[in-house]
Amino acid sequence: MNTATKDFLLEINVETLPVLYPRPWVETLQKELIKELEAQRIGYGGTYSACNKNLLICYIKGVSLHQDEISREVLGPPKHVAFDKEGNLTKQACGFAKTQGVKIEDLKIKKTAKGEYIYVEKKEKARPTKDILRDVVPEIIKNVHFPKTMRWDSSGFRFARPVESLLLLLGKDNLRIKAGNVPQKKVSGVTASVYLKKIQKASLIDPDERKDAIKKLILGKLGFLKADPQVDEALLEEVNFMVNSPQIFVGQFDKRFLRLPKDVLIASMSKYQRVFPVLQKGHITNNFIAIIEKGKRDMAGIRKNYENILEARLKDSLFFFDEDTKKPFKENAEQLKSLIFQKKLGNMSEKIERLKGLSRFICEKLALDEGLKSNIQRAAELSKLDLITLMVGEFPSLQGVMGGEYALKSGESKEVSQAIKEHYLPQGMDDKLPGSLEGSILAISDRIDNVVGFLGTGVDISGSFDPFGIRRNTQGLIQIIEKKALRLRIDEVIQKSIELYNDKLTVDRGQLKDKIVDYIKERIEYLIGDVRPIELKAAILEIKYFDIVDIFNRIKIFSSISDKKFFSEAAKIVERTNNILKAARKGEIGKVDKNLFEETLEHELWKAYLNMRPKMQDLVNNEKYEEATREYAKAFYKILHDFFDHVMVNTEKASLRLNRLAMMDTINRLYTERVADLAKLPQIIVK
Amino acid sequence: MKRLSFVEVVERLNKFWAKQGCTTVMPLDTEVGAGTFHPATFFKSLGNEKWRTAYIQPSRRPTDGRYADNPLRMQYYYQYQVLVKPSPREIKNIYLDSLKSLGIDLDLHEIRFVEDDWESPTLGAQGLGWEVWLDSLEITQFTYFQQIGGIELDMVSCEITYGIERLCMFIQNKNNVFDLEWQNGLKYGDLHKRHEIEHSKYNFDESNIDMHLKMFEFFEKEASALLSKKLVYPAYSFVLKASHAFNLLDARGAIGQSERARYIARIRSLAKRCAELYLSAAQGAATTS
Repeated sequence: MNTATKDFLLEINVETLPVLYPRPWVETLQKELIKELEAQRIGYGGTYSACNKNLLICYIKGVSLHQDEISREVLGPPKHVAFDKEGNLTKQACGFAKTQGVKIEDLKIKKTAKGEYIYVEKKEKARPTKDILRDVVPEIIKNVHFPKTMRWDSSGFRFARPVESLLLLLGKDNLRIKAGNVPQKKVSGVTASVYLKKIQKASLIDPDERKDAIKKLILGKLGFLKADPQVDEALLEEVNFMVNSPQIFVGQFDKRFLRLPKDVLIASMSKYQRVFPVLQKGHITNNFIAIIEKGKRDMAGIRKNYENILEARLKDSLFFFDEDTKKPFKENAEQLKSLIFQKKLGNMSEKIERLKGLSRFICEKLALDEGLKSNIQRAAELSKLDLITLMVGEFPSLQGVMGGEYALKSGESKEVSQAIKEHYLPQGMDDKLPGSLEGSILAISDRIDNVVGFLGTGVDISGSFDPFGIRRNTQGLIQIIEKKALRLRIDEVIQKSIELYNDKLTVDRGQLKDKIVDYIKERIEYLIGDVRPIELKAAILEIKYFDIVDIFNRIKIFSSISDKKFFSEAAKIVERTNNILKAARKGEIGKVDKNLFEETLEHELWKAYLNMRPKMQDLVNNEKYEEATREYAKAFYKILHDFFDHVMVNTEKASLRLNRLAMMDTINRLYTERVADLAKLPQIIVK
Repeated sequence: MKRLSFVEVVERLNKFWAKQGCTTVMPLDTEVGAGTFHPATFFKSLGNEKWRTAYIQPSRRPTDGRYADNPLRMQYYYQYQVLVKPSPREIKNIYLDSLKSLGIDLDLHEIRFVEDDWESPTLGAQGLGWEVWLDSLEITQFTYFQQIGGIELDMVSCEITYGIERLCMFIQNKNNVFDLEWQNGLKYGDLHKRHEIEHSKYNFDESNIDMHLKMFEFFEKEASALLSKKLVYPAYSFVLKASHAFNLLDARGAIGQSERARYIARIRSLAKRCAELYLSAAQGAATTS
């Protein structure tokens, strides 16, 4: 063991990075460095990383100065080759010793599965950590992923933005590494830990500390303004990577702009100028909060400039708003015909018709009342009209929201307006879901229409890229259905959507439905996350009856009973019946014929099945999966055990064999087809 | 801070960049949407020849017209364009010095580089960089070119595009572009307001859609024919004309969403052919000499 250690510090100075890049990058960098140290048998202590818009830092305490020593065995020729009949070493054995650079006395003999062999034990050299770092650090820097990279000089080296300098310290030593033409920063006479303290003192390089500091400043001002103590977290994180040392001011805009919809005002401030809107009891005010880089600045001048720019933008928005509301909202419908949804999938007017058809179908399946139904129909009808408005042209992120605003302004009901507003929700994994049932149904219809349309015209979903938002659409769909507990057969809805597309789809329709169902299952599997045992997911998703709420429900139940005895017993029944059926040919097995029974145990087992069948159906219909599992185990575990002990299933006589297999099949399917295909689990041990 | 007039700002920038070795070229006489379209940028950023240039370029964005009603937006404005190839390591600091040379105090005010990956789909051009904000006012687009005319660039140029009006608004402390001093007490509005109003009317209400649709076809055909004759500069000038015709049609809302993409693709494919022809001719010349 090497006990001598020094602290490690890697610092990358870079031109201003995109706001969302630094944090995940340093986190991955740190993981990769640790992984490499471990692979290289280099000991280390605690780790720390920090970053801001132009600085990426990874610090590791107590890094061993050498690799741990390790010895490994190198196998030579077999013993009978290494020694002659007299027991002397052969030429081959001496050759082996020579090539391995050891004396013949060092040769040893060991038993292996293939017989006895001679071998040598070799000590791997413990390389100095310095040398290893020089090799691996540049590779790691190159390989940690950024969403987009660029070149800026003739070296061809790629990074998110041009790198200004690199520093790699091990204790006081500056290690030279080569990464493109990036210059090396030089620090002399300072250890890594002292250097880190120095830059920590100079500014808030810890992203969490900095974020907290900014938040505190904002909350302070909000308190002073008697405003709602809420800070937009997404914007906060952006600002956190725009400013290294925060300083705050409050600005104002003319009250006449307050007649713009709240969402337009918020977007103008937060998306386009990165300043924080100020709300009082949920109502927008004409104040805003800006965070800028600290310094002795002309605050009055800066404030005036911010205000002027915001007002110019709001003036533009007001121009759009007034233009858009000059004519009744519904009049935009004609223009939808010339707005293309997607090249092969026709125009937006056609999409609206499909949305109406699909949402009507879903309403009927859910047996919703007429009031809801007609609201949803109306909302579907108006849902895409805002795409032609100037406001959405300028602020694409306000699609839906503006539709709802404009619908309300032209006399539609609150329910219809809200459904339009919400139907693009959720926008991502952590976004909120539609609040109303109307919005949810419209959102589901829109998403299914998108997924079916894109996959139906051959869009590839295999890559990690999601240019058509298929993954986002599918996950949103699953989240809405699950959280709103909408009892829908999603496969039926997909089928309906395929029919509504008529002849527009270019791929085989039968395969398409299966493909989409499989894709939805894949996304469900992803959304479920970690369960134990992990195979439970596959076991439950194998069920043909496809209802998303039910799937999540089963997952919950099964992961809570998976350590119970009756669960392993049920799984064992499935496993054993499944195993014996593996030998049978497909289509060979028919129905059970009582007249072919020869053994008492066969009669008894069949009786148990007949008893169990109605009970099982009843339990499954009521979604009592825990009881169904318990009852199934109780009914079959013991008797099946006896059966296998005393009755030969695979007998010579074909009719008898097939009849017995049919019985196994029947018992297997009683559970696997409607509860969970537990054959997917790893081998079961019943304790 | 001395209140530089609009013309003085341009003069100072000319002087500053000339000192940096930039050749001052004259604006292109064809309607373009940005300084990037000037051959001094579009062609010269291709290949591996060093090049530094700076120039003013009147730019037209028909859809941005606001009848002179908006203090910041216009369908006709001026860009100050700098191209430095290859991009030197200290280019960002040189740029900041150029702002100081205009009398802007970067300590009293706040400069911010905000991610903006620039792209010109019609030119098949793409780069990474920032919008530069001065007290949240976007005054410059700062880009490291990665691709021009669909061609991946070996030698990376840095393009710096100043919005001169916006810089002047800051320097002269004016809220409205039309109140800027152009020169010797004459206002920007005196020179441009009527032009702006009339062109907004033309762009949005009066331009002859049929004529521009036909013009587009003519320009496209001519560009293509000239390309076959290997006359790259004339061909390119017709690509620019086609691009402007398209922009005018777009402002009239005469082009549907799907068609829009197709029009852009048509222009891009011509621009790409121009870039390829320019390069092959340049390489041909290099090998024969």
